[in-house]
Amino acid sequence: MATDSPSRQFEQTDWDEIARNTERGLSTNLKLTLGLVVPLVGLFLYDLLALGQYDATFGVVGWGYDVTQLDWLFALSLILFGAYGLLPLYQAPRMTRYYWSEFKRNRPAVVSLVFLAVIFVMGLFGPLFLDPPKAALFKQFQPPVGTEVNMQYVIECSGQVTTSGGERFCQGSMAHPFGTTDNGQDIFTLVVYGMQITMKIAFITTLIVITVGTAVGTTAAYVGGMVDEVLMRYVDIQQSFPTFIAYLLILYIFGGGIALFIVLFGLFSWEGTARYVRSNALAKAEEEYIKASQLTGASAYHIIRRHIVPNTASSIITDVTLLVPAFILFEAQLAFLGLGDTAVPSWGQVLARGRDVLAFAPWVTLVPGLFIFLTILAFNFLGDALLDALNPRAAAEAEE
Amino acid sequence: MGLRWYIARRVGWAVVVTFIIVSITWALLTAAPNPEVRQAATQAALEGGNPNTAAERVRELRGLNAPLYQRYIDYVVNVYTLDWGWSRMRSQPVTQAMVQSLYYTAQYSIPWTLITVVLAPAVGLYSAANQYSWKDHLATGFSFFGYAIPNFFFGIILLLIFGVYLGWIPITYNSDVPVFSLANARQLAVPIFVLVTGSIGGTVRVARNESSEFMSADFVKTATAKGVSTARIYTRHILRPTMVPLSTTMVAQLLALFIGSSLLVEIVFSIPGLGRLTYRAITAQDTNLVLGSTLFFTFIATIGNLLQDIVYTVLDPRIDFSDR
Repeated sequence: MATDSPSRQFEQTDWDEIARNTERGLSTNLKLTLGLVVPLVGLFLYDLLALGQYDATFGVVGWGYDVTQLDWLFALSLILFGAYGLLPLYQAPRMTRYYWSEFKRNRPAVVSLVFLAVIFVMGLFGPLFLDPPKAALFKQFQPPVGTEVNMQYVIECSGQVTTSGGERFCQGSMAHPFGTTDNGQDIFTLVVYGMQITMKIAFITTLIVITVGTAVGTTAAYVGGMVDEVLMRYVDIQQSFPTFIAYLLILYIFGGGIALFIVLFGLFSWEGTARYVRSNALAKAEEEYIKASQLTGASAYHIIRRHIVPNTASSIITDVTLLVPAFILFEAQLAFLGLGDTAVPSWGQVLARGRDVLAFAPWVTLVPGLFIFLTILAFNFLGDALLDALNPRAAAEAEE
Repeated sequence: MGLRWYIARRVGWAVVVTFIIVSITWALLTAAPNPEVRQAATQAALEGGNPNTAAERVRELRGLNAPLYQRYIDYVVNVYTLDWGWSRMRSQPVTQAMVQSLYYTAQYSIPWTLITVVLAPAVGLYSAANQYSWKDHLATGFSFFGYAIPNFFFGIILLLIFGVYLGWIPITYNSDVPVFSLANARQLAVPIFVLVTGSIGGTVRVARNESSEFMSADFVKTATAKGVSTARIYTRHILRPTMVPLSTTMVAQLLALFIGSSLLVEIVFSIPGLGRLTYRAITAQDTNLVLGSTLFFTFIATIGNLLQDIVYTVLDPRIDFSDR
């Protein structure tokens, strides 16, 4: 007989025990987030309240670095990225393997991912090991490795000095692999510091765009009526205000450093995400599984958080991957115009500095320009591949 | 009803949008300290006068002491009657300064737009016809390159190569040469090339992906079966439906580039157009001129968005207007 294992019978199931075990506690992701954000906020308050404006944050443990506002935001976005971007990949290894096998087929995208990962790691840890770029006037215009420059532009050559045709040339050396600028700053160091700025732009704007865009999109879709109308009309206006001109106007009127700048980038460009989330939320609201969870008494928040947001996540990620290069370009453009934050060694700043000496020291412009170009290219390839791997159907939608 | 009603509503909304943008710029300007007042105060202090009275005098002169609503109404009326104030930097009315610069901007933006509009669908279609061949890969590589390289950086490199090292093109722009002359073509060739590579990339991608969908559509098979020539299939059966989504991306792309990149390209190639005017106004703290060019660019963007929507609906007869 088939009923020789009576212990498995439905009637004998201890439902109370199951209910106790599935008690909804905090998810691992939330625990991780809280576990890191709470100390971060504590540290921030300590820096804000207990220390003077120019005191080093970690002065107590002997580290003379004063954490800036941008660093706090960067740390927050990194924590959230880890908890809700990387941890889920670890938690669902089967899906991760599937995505990876899809993603792997696009070889330029894999190369791009490696390139961006290198930039990320070097940008994050490089500044800890490299001293900030220092002006050293005697070391001006050192050429990069493998190139040479006429000695008339150089005061003191770090590499060998060769003579050909009666003129003396300074050879590039490993002391300054990418050469130096007009005031002798090492371009390699500047580029590494610029990587961090680039990654800050990428992560912080992404955080803002995803948060605001998702919040507005889901609110508009779920509340509906007047709220929906007003929010979506606002999105229309934001879309027709040319972003770059808006930055120019705001910078002209208020001035401001890189932190304001990055926050503005984020705050002015979530409209596409909001639109997408809204239309997706409206479409998904008709699905059977949403109706099923509504019938079982799930709250609107639960439905948005558990069903709508995860379902739109892949398209949001793709959308943002294609937005980030635009921000990097904006920063470079503003820096080039001399309207950027001159206190920050971003790639755009270095590039702009090389403009006047282009004729004999083109590397000052070319090296950071090449990094900007490659980073933008990598993000584009990555976005293209993510579009294919995460959501084959969205590929058709996005091109309309 | 239908289409006409939709267009009327869309135009009405565009007017509302410009109105809101005008109001936002007013609010931003009012909230910020006026550089002119600050300058007057600094100057008075330097000359040993009383900075407060000097500031007060400028405020009086510029009507900054009037009640807020009065200033707002004046501002809006002035904006819509094209009375955009006096440019200190150029010593002429703002509108006049802008029309003069527009003359130079048009000289490169009209050929650029024409080239993009003609070339992008053609390359995309060609790419789709030869999908996954080396020609397709070449076109794809080229469009990614053009899309990713910052226009101003590309401009600098080309200027370095062709202007400084090879000496084929003049390094500085000469505004005295006639519009239709070889010299003008020579000095504008590189800026136009840079802008075209920037704008063509995205459009070629869209054209390629869209038309490759129609390559194997039933109506194309039918046309082939009844003996329609290949050229006619491409132009009439594939290009026609491709143009619908393509036109919208094209308008959006050209607009975004016109506003963002033309500014930088003009500065790199020292073309005395609108972008450079805006930039110089910002560095010279000429508020009226900054505002004028901001408004100009936003109006262009609003009109562009409007056109984009209307073109989309006019081109695609399948769209239903009853509920829009």
